[in-house]
Amino acid sequence: MTELGLGVATLEHEPTGRTDPDAVDATLAASGDASAFERLYRTHVPKVYGLVRRMLSDDDVDEVAQDIFVRAWQKLGTFRGEAAFGTWLHRLAVNVILARRETLGTRRKRYVEGDMVLETVPSRRATPEMSMDFEAAMERLPDGAREVFVLHDVEGYRHEEIAQMLGLATGTSKSQLHRARMALRQHLER
Amino acid sequence: MLFALLTGTLALSPIVQADTTLNAVRGQRLDVNAYAGEVTVHAWNRNAVRIVASGADQDQLEISSSATAISIRTHGRHGPPDEITLQISAPAWIAISMGGVNTNAKIEGIRAPISVETVEGEVDVTGGESLISLRSVQGSVRLRGAKGRINVNSVNEDVEVANSSGDIAAQTVNGEILLQGVNASSVDANTVNGDISYSGPIRSGGRYALSTHNGDLTLTVPEGTSAGVTVSTFSGDFESEFPVPLRGTRKGKGFNFTLGSGSAQVTLESFQGTIQLVRPGSEEDPARRKREHDRDHDED
Amino acid sequence: MTQDPWTNRLSEYLDGELPEWERHALESHLESCAECSLVVSDLRRVVRRARTLKNPPPVTDLWPGIAARIGAGIPKAQDVVDLDAQRRVRRQWAFSLPQLAAAGIALMTVSGGAVWFMSGAARQSVVSAPVPSSPPESTPAVSVAMKPNASQSYAAAVADLERVLADGRGKLDTTTVRIIEQNLAAIDRAIAEAQRALDADSANLYLNTHLAETMRRKLDLLRQAAALVPVS
Repeated sequence: MTELGLGVATLEHEPTGRTDPDAVDATLAASGDASAFERLYRTHVPKVYGLVRRMLSDDDVDEVAQDIFVRAWQKLGTFRGEAAFGTWLHRLAVNVILARRETLGTRRKRYVEGDMVLETVPSRRATPEMSMDFEAAMERLPDGAREVFVLHDVEGYRHEEIAQMLGLATGTSKSQLHRARMALRQHLER
Repeated sequence: MLFALLTGTLALSPIVQADTTLNAVRGQRLDVNAYAGEVTVHAWNRNAVRIVASGADQDQLEISSSATAISIRTHGRHGPPDEITLQISAPAWIAISMGGVNTNAKIEGIRAPISVETVEGEVDVTGGESLISLRSVQGSVRLRGAKGRINVNSVNEDVEVANSSGDIAAQTVNGEILLQGVNASSVDANTVNGDISYSGPIRSGGRYALSTHNGDLTLTVPEGTSAGVTVSTFSGDFESEFPVPLRGTRKGKGFNFTLGSGSAQVTLESFQGTIQLVRPGSEEDPARRKREHDRDHDED
Repeated sequence: MTQDPWTNRLSEYLDGELPEWERHALESHLESCAECSLVVSDLRRVVRRARTLKNPPPVTDLWPGIAARIGAGIPKAQDVVDLDAQRRVRRQWAFSLPQLAAAGIALMTVSGGAVWFMSGAARQSVVSAPVPSSPPESTPAVSVAMKPNASQSYAAAVADLERVLADGRGKLDTTTVRIIEQNLAAIDRAIAEAQRALDADSANLYLNTHLAETMRRKLDLLRQAAALVPVS
């Protein structure tokens, strides 16, 4: 059963200001309430799954997404509520993803210099869902450029943060982002 | 009137009236904490903050300046401070953080982040850039001419955003949400007991989510709008001033339709109210009704 | 393609990362360079597209695997929400739309009972109504509405916050207390109405989501109110 004593104490001394709708569930989950953690999972799995899918080009997206939530459960005790739970989870997800990419052995050179040419995206059947072509084009970016593009333009991290996460110079992060954007501009709907 | 140009900490003894001006340096923000009363901030073109205060003499007004902030706070000697009136002139570049309990806040002309929280007062802001967060429990919240990430929140009264751009999150429980002349690529408007109306461009790739339990939704749809629209209701109605490509309706259920190429994403939800699509300038357009109302009540 | 020397600076310009003097110089250049202006416009659209990418949840529900790994136990059969059944229900409803369209009439009911009939020419421009989208990202609704354990947790959280408010109401202005109680009552009524509707149509995605969002509004308001209580 949930140890509500800890939850109550935390709630009573909650500082004023912004309310994180997940904070109650995070508090309950940290006390061992798996139902609360499941609610957090259901709330955040679409965004986490999207991040994994876009950052990793291998087939184990489901496995990595599971790893992220298992890690989050293990680390709940370190969640202090200074940021929103979603922000904390997202950062943890990025760390898990980056750790995985390191364990996959040697990779080809990630940060391609020179012009970047995407393979021609095969024409798809007419669909009102325009972002499918765009997502397909993203998948064809070189790994490094795709990672920077996803972290910056899709997920909203700053170059300084990305550089630290990926072990790059800030200037490299900026140039990779620009190259990715220039390559993707051809795949916007007209 | 007595001016004092000061830097550093300045604590005034109990006052009836005070007029103080401090230098302001870029990088400083303005923090105002007035428990009760009226706080007005106007932008001016000086790199200084002028505070004109008037109120009961039990109030203690503390004004201080540090490297990061110019702070104005009221203290009560015995219990909460009495009401005070603060008229503040500040540079347009200064970010403002304001808090109070029974405090009405009015801010004009600031081109910087603004955050206001009050419990019983009203919030009225013209301006604001980058990050604007306005909250009241009992009072209405009005914002005009802002640009950036906008978060406006009341509990018991209306929330209004006009002639602003950026990403907008608007929430109340017992009030209306009026979004007029807004140019937003992301809108999230949510109330329980009130109507919601939105008029402004529906931008390609934008996301617009309007949701109420007991109220009506009115969305003004300019010609040529390209959006995938999802309508959800339990026992409400759906109306449109123009034909929409519906394949079938079921009252009390949801349905989707597409305007143009369906580029934007529009979600309209009312549990038991009417969801209505109107054209700009039509009789049902809330923006037109407001203009006519204002014109009819203009006594000048 | 001619490589304009400014081209490589356009992303930094878009992101507001150029020093002021360089930004002014580039903006002067953009006034006379249609190609760079087009690139800036395209890059802006790329960024907007990136920000509006959809995030559908995984096709396979990952929760059972996660639950097993964290030692939460295997959910009992009656507690498990059959997401496949949910999807089948939604697909059935979606299939009914083309069936209606096959009747050759597009209908829309206006208040008062008037009906628009689309002309043949207008019908040709109709795009197929998309299948109802995947559950919105913030949807704990299914588990909230259908799992007794989750409801108990929610009730416990609400009870905690209500206790904080009850203990602290003497420290709040009476008008504030009244306003908060009125609005909590309004939300409770909305929750009750949504729950009754859901009881009659438990697979309705909108009702599930709406109930969860309304319950979350109650938690938000309770937390906001609890935060008003001065800490003594």
